Amino acid sequence: MSGKRIVIAGVSTRWGSELARTLQRRSDVGEIIGIDSTPPESDLGGTEFIEVDIRNPVISKILPTLEPDVLVHCGIVWYPEEGRPSRALHDINVIGTLQLLAACEKTPGLEALVVRGSAAIYGSAPGAPAFFTEDMARHYPLVTRFQRDIGELEGYFDNFARRRPDITCCMLRFQVEVGPGLDTPFNRYLNLPVVPTRMGFDPRLQLLHVDDATGALAAATLNPVRGAVNVAPDGAISLSRLLRLCGRTAVGVPPIVVGVINRRISNYLGSADLYRDGELLLRYGRGCDNRRLREEIGYELAFDSEGTARDFARTAHGVQALFPSPHPGSPVRSVPR
Amino acid sequence: MSGVSPRSPEAILEWASTVQSTSDRIVRRLTGEYHEDEWGFDEEFTEAVFPIFEFLYSTWWRVQVEGAANVPGHGRALLVANHSGAIFPFDATMIATAIQKEHPLPRWVRAMVLNWAFDLPFVSYLLRRLGGVAANPANLGRLLEEDQPVMVFPEGQKGFGKSFADRYRLERFGRGGFVEVALEAGAPIVPVAVVGAEEIYPKLGESKPLARVLGSPYVPITPTFPWLGPLGLLPLPSRWRIEFLEPIDLSGYGPGSSEDKSLVFDLSEQVREQIQEALYRGLVKRGPAFL
Repeated sequence: MSGKRIVIAGVSTRWGSELARTLQRRSDVGEIIGIDSTPPESDLGGTEFIEVDIRNPVISKILPTLEPDVLVHCGIVWYPEEGRPSRALHDINVIGTLQLLAACEKTPGLEALVVRGSAAIYGSAPGAPAFFTEDMARHYPLVTRFQRDIGELEGYFDNFARRRPDITCCMLRFQVEVGPGLDTPFNRYLNLPVVPTRMGFDPRLQLLHVDDATGALAAATLNPVRGAVNVAPDGAISLSRLLRLCGRTAVGVPPIVVGVINRRISNYLGSADLYRDGELLLRYGRGCDNRRLREEIGYELAFDSEGTARDFARTAHGVQALFPSPHPGSPVRSVPR
Repeated sequence: MSGVSPRSPEAILEWASTVQSTSDRIVRRLTGEYHEDEWGFDEEFTEAVFPIFEFLYSTWWRVQVEGAANVPGHGRALLVANHSGAIFPFDATMIATAIQKEHPLPRWVRAMVLNWAFDLPFVSYLLRRLGGVAANPANLGRLLEEDQPVMVFPEGQKGFGKSFADRYRLERFGRGGFVEVALEAGAPIVPVAVVGAEEIYPKLGESKPLARVLGSPYVPITPTFPWLGPLGLLPLPSRWRIEFLEPIDLSGYGPGSSEDKSLVFDLSEQVREQIQEALYRGLVKRGPAFL
């Protein structure tokens, strides 16, 4: 029997490309087809690329012709990137997912749907459970725009999963990814020469290593399970210890000016008006339970939160990006000093 | 004096090695090379501030302890205590200190903390480093599954903020959520009666406007707070007595028993009555509050 046909939506995002490259190395995978609105920056080898915007209803005509066994949706965007301004994120995330689900309805033979979602749906709150399990989504009101977008698309996803019990629908909720070569606002934040923190608060964070982020996505693609699965590392680390391990200087920002400073920093880091998510995370932190990932999907995490922090500290020295990269989304540059 | 003159070479060497180990420790802390568990509990930090609690325990409040060995030396256990303090939950710190000092196999006990404390600057991370965890059934259940000893104060905010006139009269024990979790985890319940913590900040009333400004559920008024400012935060040196009662074994109830509301309420009421009786007993045994 030849391997499964896998279609990756959002293949030009970092995670989509990484997934395509990882799956190509496996012998039990058949053909891999990537779709996205822009061609991938890097060479994807044997992956066929089709240029189509998932927000366009034409996807309903194209997807069935690809005859996928598994569809992986990597097109959900956390932060504004080049060509994806922050005001377009709602469209990309919610409308894009909705169109993709509609296309799945018209695709016979589809066995599994895997969505790369976010743990932001749990929120960050002072009295929150230290380890959210998958049934605790919407435990707290969805307060930020990104959270509401994730909540909305998870709603559509749940409806679809109920309507189509013949398809294994798997929603992956990713914690914050950290690692060498990753250029997200959070990684840029950790690379600031002086790191502003909220005075009097020291959040507990879970840092998902980039290798684990890709590995878990590939594991879930090959062995999808029904329902939501947290993709989170073991353990947790406090922000203060993380910054000390990285040799960064933390400066406590007093509450009176914290709003202004955060907005400024956020613009500087390139997360624009999505700063509220980061603000809450860096005040109250968030932890997720990863038992479903380990036991049901069967993925062995290579790094725990502390291991990720140490790996980041080892590789981040010397990467003191004094100015945000002119091309967000590209790998971090080493600034020659 | 240990017979060594302060100027002798041995004393100077000893002093030098103390300085070195302290500075080593500071460097280690500053470079992040210390352990922190997945809940944010920092044992090294707790040990470093422990002398403060020891001083309060032995000298300031002269705590007497009875039945410390009733706390299981290993495996999960749920300590249920009366709550008081009005300003700072010193009763929790003294229970933990009592186990450190009097138990043959001392362990650090985690405490379930009111949620709003985690919204307060500095207090939030201080409590977490000392082993405080936000009070909710998910956290309690997970800690017990990890075979940790955990203390809960089912009176919650009502007990913490009760007025001086109502001292040592237990409030309602919530909805018995702690019993449900203990039944599910099969953890023994150890009732704990703390006498003395009600006198450290005698709460006479509360200030609603101040509470609104500070965003806290209430702001207590004591004979010294807020009149003396930060000095009013100094707890009064009452005499304390902590009694650990016989553990109640719940392992015989079997799975699904946590859904039996009447069982949950009976057990919750049983624990409450035992603590209340122990409080009255303890008050008599302790005698005058301050002398």
